[in-house]
Amino acid sequence: MVAVVTGGAVIGGEFFLAGCKNPDTGVQLVFDESDIAFLDEVAETIFPKTATPGAKDAKVGQFMTVMVNDCYNEKDQKAFHQGMKQLDEACNKMHGHSFMKATPEHRKELLISLEKEAKEYQERRKTFNEEQDAKEKAEKERGNKAFEKETMPNHYYLMMKQLTIMGYFTSKEGRTGATRYEPVPGKYIGDLPYKKGDKIFTGLD
Amino acid sequence: MADNTYDAIVVGSGISGGWAAKELTEKGLKTIMLERGHDIKHVKDYEQTNRPVWDYPHRGGRTQQMIEDYPKLKRDYPLNERNLSYWAVDKDCPYTETKRFDWFRGYHVGGRSLMWGRQSYRWCEADFEANGKEGIAIDWPIRYKDMEPWYSYVEKFAGIQGSYEHLPQLPDSQFLPAMDLNIVEKDVAARIKQHYNNKRTLIIGRTAHVTAKLPDSPERDRCQYRNMCWNGCPFGAYFSTQSSTLPAAMKTGKLTVRPFSIVKEIIYDKDTKKAKGVRIIDAETNQVQEFFAKVIFLCASAFNSTWVLMNSATDIWPDGLGSSSGELGHNAMDHHFRLGASGDVEGYEDKYYFGHRPTGFYIPRFRNFGDDKRDYLRGFGYQGAANRNGWNREVAELNIGADLKDALSEPGPWRIGATAFGEMLPYHDNKISLNKTVKDKWGLPVLDMDVEIRDNERKMRKDMTEDMKEMLEIAGVKNAHTYESDYAPGMGIHEMGTARMGRDPKTSVLNANNQVWDCQNVFVTDGACMTSASCVNPSLTYMAMTARAAAYAVEQLKKNNL
Repeated sequence: MVAVVTGGAVIGGEFFLAGCKNPDTGVQLVFDESDIAFLDEVAETIFPKTATPGAKDAKVGQFMTVMVNDCYNEKDQKAFHQGMKQLDEACNKMHGHSFMKATPEHRKELLISLEKEAKEYQERRKTFNEEQDAKEKAEKERGNKAFEKETMPNHYYLMMKQLTIMGYFTSKEGRTGATRYEPVPGKYIGDLPYKKGDKIFTGLD
Repeated sequence: MADNTYDAIVVGSGISGGWAAKELTEKGLKTIMLERGHDIKHVKDYEQTNRPVWDYPHRGGRTQQMIEDYPKLKRDYPLNERNLSYWAVDKDCPYTETKRFDWFRGYHVGGRSLMWGRQSYRWCEADFEANGKEGIAIDWPIRYKDMEPWYSYVEKFAGIQGSYEHLPQLPDSQFLPAMDLNIVEKDVAARIKQHYNNKRTLIIGRTAHVTAKLPDSPERDRCQYRNMCWNGCPFGAYFSTQSSTLPAAMKTGKLTVRPFSIVKEIIYDKDTKKAKGVRIIDAETNQVQEFFAKVIFLCASAFNSTWVLMNSATDIWPDGLGSSSGELGHNAMDHHFRLGASGDVEGYEDKYYFGHRPTGFYIPRFRNFGDDKRDYLRGFGYQGAANRNGWNREVAELNIGADLKDALSEPGPWRIGATAFGEMLPYHDNKISLNKTVKDKWGLPVLDMDVEIRDNERKMRKDMTEDMKEMLEIAGVKNAHTYESDYAPGMGIHEMGTARMGRDPKTSVLNANNQVWDCQNVFVTDGACMTSASCVNPSLTYMAMTARAAAYAVEQLKKNNL
């Protein structure tokens, strides 16, 4: 049993563990090239190119579509697809034009507003899902095995942000450009001097 | 038929099977190792070992298709994109659950020796004495002194890194140079040691990693601190069948390895009261074949070794070979865990570490040891680590943009946490049995699991969280908090029991030398033989137990006693 505990909150980690369902339904949940370009710009707003590569360099838009297609459950998939439209509408409302036409400053302003909205939404979602879990437990204890709990999907912006961070730091460009990539360290030093600005070490994993 | 006759048959190729093959061949026995799954060649077949995370489409995660295909494996971390080919395919090899049991299996040459956690600890005297002293289940027929020379013997070959601590509850192994604790772990260790007056200690997690040249295995290279062990190590730095016991056995020229060989039963001869050999199904062709030998080592993993016994000699014993005591399939155990505590470490902003260390720290058992007495029996140990948060953390004061990217590119604050692993008592009612109504891909009956944790474990679990929180607080860790996740038996991947050793054929399946009482040329030396579970990781004990039994078997063969 491997049991080295980090104890840290893992953004995006829940996708690895919770995993996803993707049953065939009538709903069109397909990404096209323009979606990838759109998601690239969202990601680039979250992680812009500076002295280190940006999210677009790391092809995060493409990565998001693969993860949503293959790993997300149907509810989150739908929320993600609808979310792209919602994001564009919110941009129209705030700035009077689409996200693709917005300046980097306008884009950033918009996403910061979504940040707050997503946080509040996730709080409500947590409460709702906990209530449903309790209800499911109570129903099962009463012998109602057929009971199926309801769940709320994640907020689309939270999914986009998590996928941006994960996609970036697990990409070749992100690892080699923004961290100290050490696939074969050869030794372990448990007491290494550190000064602010030194990058994290990453490896093959 | 002569082609199918050997001196010894080893069923299974994991940690126990590998050791059986090495010991029996080195002692001159012509041996065949039967493995139900495919072959995996050392280094050559470790396809993912040098593969960086960005080469996985889902960056190592899991897809909905994988979840559909692996309804059992999905229950914990083993279902992932990296080493999926090392885990048994659930739908080919189903099992049923009277009570939930998470059974994570490795069906290939090397078995779970390729994916194991590599934590390696000796049992102590108290572990072997506990059942007898406390009147739990039955007494072990052996003691620490019986095992001590065999621990030393296997350690010198396997290569165990660790620190000499002289602890009564955790005897030292023959160590290679220890891996280092990091600076935070060292300071926390010092504070714990001082506060508890040496009764609690935090030490480096002892693992089967080579940290210096091993005289007996010069071809194994030192650990390179990649922490990619679970994909198979191209340096042979951790102990596995492939890196260690298999090359040694092959060197003798006396070993035949036969993959795709599902042993369905032992062929029992009621006139001689001995086993003649085994009957297998070829997993690829479905053809049945027989192999014959003077001695058989069952090392198929705890529950599968018992499954083979349950399917054997049923014309004489309806419940199978070794069932005369009524204990075959009973007293199943695992280590219960998935709970502990963690917290934030202030300071040390000018400290970091280099290298991806493939172990953490270990806090040996302290409960119900010496003069400590609790309202439950036995104890638990902790495995944990201190490290600086990486990119997958939240930065509360930052939203998006270059600042966030830069912040996540640098290490975050230090954190420390540890998970407890507790001993589970052997209960007669915790059992596995044959379910003949469900068949696997080859038409063989499957196992049904009926195992649960009970009052003693539940009481222990309170201490398992609270004790760690207390130790963290004493060490000055901030925001120390407990955590507890769902645990189902099997998740520890430490299945034990179901064919226990004992002193009396009326109450045990195996004798003190791992021989089946009812059929003395059959030895069971994997987790099935365990009479109790201790709280330490069991693999090192299987190695020692197997080497000990192999030496005994060869000695008895020479005396014509088998």
